[in-house]
Amino acid sequence: MKKKFVPTLLFYLLVLIIALIVLFPFLWMLTSSFKTQVDIISWPPKLFFEPTLQNYRKVFEEQDFLKYFLNSTVVGAVAVGMSLLLGLPAAYSISRYAQTKLAVFILLARLMPGISFLMPWYIIFSRLGLIDSYVALILSHMLIALPIVVWIMSTYFSTIPRELEESAMVDGATRQMAFLKIILPLSGPGIITATTLSFIFSWNNFMFSQVLSMERTKTLPIAVYNFLSYAEVDWGGVMAAAVAIMAPAIILTMIFQKYVVKGLTMGAVKG
Amino acid sequence: MKHKLSKIGVALSSLCLCAGAMAQSGEIRVLVANHPYGELLKLSIPQFEKDTGIKVNVESLQESQLTQKLTTEFATKSSTVDVFMTRPLQEGKMFSKNGWYAPLADYDFSDYPKNIMNAASFGGKPYIVPLVTEWQVLYYRKDLLQKAGLKVPTNFDELEAAAQKLNSESVAGIASRGKGAAAVTQVSSYIYNYGGQYLDKGTAAFNSKPAIDAVRYYGKLLGNYGPKGVTSMSWENIMPLFQAGKIAMWTDASVFYGQIVDQSKTQIPVANFDIANFPAGPKTNAPFIVSSWGISVANQSKKKDLALKFLNWASSKEMAIKGMMGNITMARSSVWVDPVVRSKMNPGLIETRAFAAENGTPVDRPYMSAVGEARDLIGELVIESINTKGTSNKLDQLAKEKANRVNELLKESGEYGK
Amino acid sequence: MIQSSFTERNLRVLFPLPAIVFIGLLMVFPILYTLYLSFTNWNLTSGMGPSFVGLDSYLRVFSEPRFLHALGRTFTFTVFAVAVEVVLGVAIALILNRAFVGKSLAKLLLLLPLVATPIAVGIVFNLFYDPTIGLLNFTLDALGLPQGRWISSENTVIASLVMVDVWQWTPMITLIVLAGLAGLSEEPVEAARVDGASEWQILRYVTIPMVMPVILTAMILRLIDALKTFDIIFAMTGGGPGYASETLNIMGFKYSFEYFRIGQSSVILVALFLVVLLCSLGIMKLRESSEK
Repeated sequence: MKKKFVPTLLFYLLVLIIALIVLFPFLWMLTSSFKTQVDIISWPPKLFFEPTLQNYRKVFEEQDFLKYFLNSTVVGAVAVGMSLLLGLPAAYSISRYAQTKLAVFILLARLMPGISFLMPWYIIFSRLGLIDSYVALILSHMLIALPIVVWIMSTYFSTIPRELEESAMVDGATRQMAFLKIILPLSGPGIITATTLSFIFSWNNFMFSQVLSMERTKTLPIAVYNFLSYAEVDWGGVMAAAVAIMAPAIILTMIFQKYVVKGLTMGAVKG
Repeated sequence: MKHKLSKIGVALSSLCLCAGAMAQSGEIRVLVANHPYGELLKLSIPQFEKDTGIKVNVESLQESQLTQKLTTEFATKSSTVDVFMTRPLQEGKMFSKNGWYAPLADYDFSDYPKNIMNAASFGGKPYIVPLVTEWQVLYYRKDLLQKAGLKVPTNFDELEAAAQKLNSESVAGIASRGKGAAAVTQVSSYIYNYGGQYLDKGTAAFNSKPAIDAVRYYGKLLGNYGPKGVTSMSWENIMPLFQAGKIAMWTDASVFYGQIVDQSKTQIPVANFDIANFPAGPKTNAPFIVSSWGISVANQSKKKDLALKFLNWASSKEMAIKGMMGNITMARSSVWVDPVVRSKMNPGLIETRAFAAENGTPVDRPYMSAVGEARDLIGELVIESINTKGTSNKLDQLAKEKANRVNELLKESGEYGK
Repeated sequence: MIQSSFTERNLRVLFPLPAIVFIGLLMVFPILYTLYLSFTNWNLTSGMGPSFVGLDSYLRVFSEPRFLHALGRTFTFTVFAVAVEVVLGVAIALILNRAFVGKSLAKLLLLLPLVATPIAVGIVFNLFYDPTIGLLNFTLDALGLPQGRWISSENTVIASLVMVDVWQWTPMITLIVLAGLAGLSEEPVEAARVDGASEWQILRYVTIPMVMPVILTAMILRLIDALKTFDIIFAMTGGGPGYASETLNIMGFKYSFEYFRIGQSSVILVALFLVVLLCSLGIMKLRESSEK
């Protein structure tokens, strides 16, 4: 047993403090979502209160959150699916032909501030009558998902030994067949990582949807932001809406924890 | 000349009527705001569709998104909108100047207060049917005033004295919006009552002595007796504080009354909340009364006949009465004397509305195309005044600079001096 | 057979082609369009189309104090946030870098802020910071500490926003550095220990230098994102009070979608674009040279 830098008792205390700080906003949000407006704005804040489901009822019954939920899901799923379709071959090519310049080009989309494409999109899509259409929204979200897919998958493909597809090619398969039949089936973990992460980023995106979606295609982040509706302040509803929007991303994260960590730390830590 | 035009108008409208009769099963696209009246329209549209056979594609949008969408679609000439809800004071100048509203020559406007119609007309011609109206009022806590032995303030001196007396560690004496651009509409009534204006004949006038005095007074009130952090507060921050009993008096628009007296939102017995006329200033008492929402036909609409039919229905007295029953303060005068409505409406609302309709100013912001930008500029003045509790010695200089900037904006859009 | 060999020979072009076309259409073209618009005076409120005015919009925006302040503030926010995040993130990673009961749970907890919807985080923190009914001031008051005005004061708004950013993104640094630490070989540490180095010395002269490349990369990733921070500022202050928290991103958004000054907003967007591009390139060069 090696001597550690921080003694054990102190260590657990520190871990506890860190955990509390990380968790605190979530807990507060969760408890507030079960409070009435009166309890939320009461001073001092109430630790003990009679829980109510009224806020959730408001969110799901009066505010049509199911529709926004569906919109977010559809936009995210289609954008991620299309990004995989475009991104997997591109990532393969980048990894096998060492196309660094191409990689940088695609990663620029991740680097660049979204608003510098958003304003021209708005004008162009408006001319095409595509504001508040799923097409425009999905295209914009693909620009979020595609670089993530390419970034993660090109790194992932590089970990698969070239010998695998080369031996298949010796047996007469074309390279594209080898990619489809041999490489892709081996890429499950990478694809899960890329899918989960890019879906979460699309799910959480606010700026693109705020401008490109209106009532019909409104996604959850916009619905949450718009919750402070005309002449009414409903903090309980806002908190319930916040819980509703974060829950799916958090559940996904719990299920795919390993992959999410890998995706987020990939690139920084080589291999 | 005028005669000829009206003849053409009649010919055109009769043409439209024929077309209307033929296109009974037409389709129109309508944009409404997610304002309670927009929601009411949305709910009632199926009935309209059944009665007329016109199919209505309705989209409901948040107010800034509505402006964004309309502006971009119209400016890039890609719009397919037929009818839309519009904010006369926010968009009116820009839309009418650019010819985006269709004129409403044949509409009967006799049921609307004259001062409100001024803001719905351009070059003497009406383009917007006012739907909803709001005016500046004073909300206050009856119990707190009573305890302090105060009467409801009727002028600015009394208001300040009351704010001072009511102000304590736990309750702010008075609140009003302090968040730059959002505050501009609320400061307007203070400026009018000091005898000032934002714009005068197409020129910035908020650097005049009365306007600056008003801004100073506003800063003094809020800086000394306002809630903490008032310079970042709009109504959505102030209302919960008022409901939580943290504020004794609040000047803002009349629309919040329904929320304030909703007992499910507050621990304080709602009987303690009350509404009064905005207090008089040193010069006059002319608080704003504006048409916050109206409805218009898009000029590029290819189905103006159907669009007009919808507009007539959406702004009808029947719908207005429905609105009033839902606590929406409608612009039509006749609904305010309707006995059924009067029996349901709060007397405080009826009284303050009657006062404002009689004496009020029909504008609550610099009425110009670049209103968003102008509000930000004037908002800087308000914040400076609040931060210094009205004592800033830079205020005159700052007002001059901002007035120059607003004049530049007016020149840019060709509205200067008009 | 011939056809397939054509495909095969050109695989390096054909495979990435759809992605390249997509990014060309959705990113390169809009950026060029923005660049073009930045040389016009287009203002949607005028109802007229764009007309070419050369550098006029640039001169007007660059001479605007509001722009210069936003530019400066973008850097202040970024440097401040990233510095705190890196120091805290590395420290937490070093603390957690050992086997302990509940380590995987701790890692899961660290992931949560990263996947929380930023706009909702902003709204929740708004209520937390409220000077009158917010939980923060209440807690401070209960502890007998002075209360603050947080996002309501020009002086503290940036720091308050940084705190939210720190809450949300420090875990990312921690997780990256933890992964980096896990990949290190034990030998140098053991060797130093055999040589009688103290724990602090090992940390300072062995462990940290070994994970330095990872820390730097994590820092770059954060830096680029922090420059573009939008959601939490938009949700919490909208750039206020006054313009006290207005960054280039927020200012560009306002000019585009509230003022409809497309010409001038394009200038702001080009400026933001260049800031991000130059910072990214600069840091990458720096890292390359430090690795050599």
